[in-house]
Amino acid sequence: MTTAPDPFDYEAAIGACARGDRHALRRLYDQESPRLLGVALRIVRDRQSAEDVVHDAFVSIWTRASTFDATRGAGRGWMYTIVRHAALDAVRDGAREVGVDEDTLDALDADAFDPNMQDAFELRQDMGRLHECLTRLDPAKRNSILHAYVDGFSHSEIAERLKSPLGTVKAWIKRGMSALRECMV
Amino acid sequence: MNATHDYDDLAGQYVLGTLPRAKRLEVDAELLENATLRAAVAFWEARLLPLTTLVEPSTPPASLWARIERSLGPAATLTSKPAPAARTGWWERLGLWRGLAAGGFAAAAVMAVVVGLRVNDLQQPHYMVVLAAPQNAAPGWVLKMTGATTLRLEPLVATAVPAQRALQLWTKADDWSGPVSLGLVKPGETVEVKLDKLPKIVPNQLFEITLEPEAGSPIGKPTGPILFIGRAVVI
Repeated sequence: MTTAPDPFDYEAAIGACARGDRHALRRLYDQESPRLLGVALRIVRDRQSAEDVVHDAFVSIWTRASTFDATRGAGRGWMYTIVRHAALDAVRDGAREVGVDEDTLDALDADAFDPNMQDAFELRQDMGRLHECLTRLDPAKRNSILHAYVDGFSHSEIAERLKSPLGTVKAWIKRGMSALRECMV
Repeated sequence: MNATHDYDDLAGQYVLGTLPRAKRLEVDAELLENATLRAAVAFWEARLLPLTTLVEPSTPPASLWARIERSLGPAATLTSKPAPAARTGWWERLGLWRGLAAGGFAAAAVMAVVVGLRVNDLQQPHYMVVLAAPQNAAPGWVLKMTGATTLRLEPLVATAVPAQRALQLWTKADDWSGPVSLGLVKPGETVEVKLDKLPKIVPNQLFEITLEPEAGSPIGKPTGPILFIGRAVVI
């Protein structure tokens, strides 16, 4: 369920990294670093921090390549997990909580709450089955899941953003993910 | 229904990024041993991946790859898979040592010509180590056996050392738990090294020079960055 057929063999490149072939890591970098940096930047919202995240992530990809299970496939997804988790570590270390400046607060206020719960994300048709399944969710569940994945928001950050109780947000995500799974199996 | 459903919620939250950090690290550890959990995580990684297209790509500066490469250690390629990394110390980290065998050998082959070694003037086996910078594999020092338990460390380049810092030479055979100090080294100066208390050198034995406090590492193990590193090869 990738967005487009892609001839790049991520699993083979990760396997080559596990054997110490740094050219393979370079191929992964050339192939994916702009998108990985974009994903990291969206979460940490600071270019230097995002580059730090991608740096740390590629070192992790290199050192953890031998633990990658090629039989489970999805080498590309594995890389995004490493980058997104590294980005979460960067923001959950407290930078976001203590370091929010006025501009950011204003921006948060400006688009915080809409009583009709508009979509916070413009979905793309080329997301394939995921697009279909997400559109079947109600906006609250959809927005919660997208804020978590794309923005790297924690449960409480989503609750704040959607002006909803924490427990409600947790339930939205749990039920939303469950519905997504049923839809996409 | 299948066994992966037991892990669906956990795997979904793991991939989504909503687990508390401590819980996420627990999952990271369990993934190494639990194939069912790996499958559940892989399911979500593949299904949610299209969401990354909602974000604009951003081209990294050229310096980022150079920085990553510096962090990987020596530029070389191993033909065999390295042993799993132990977690007991940074010197055993996988990325740090990988590639040294092939890199050290290639560098040694070059250096044997460059420095015009006389290889027949000692009893066998006769080892040599070219210590190269991890960043670019540029040879910095060469270590030659001068007797059964003595080595001579010769500089090939000038090494810049910051104030209140010193160079310290270490060695570690594959089955040792950590590096052992061979003493401090002055930049640009040849030094005789005695191995008398240590086991005989074995093929592939590691040697490295790290940057340490002026009086040497206070803990008996390397604490600073590796400036030069190489493995013993028979010549």
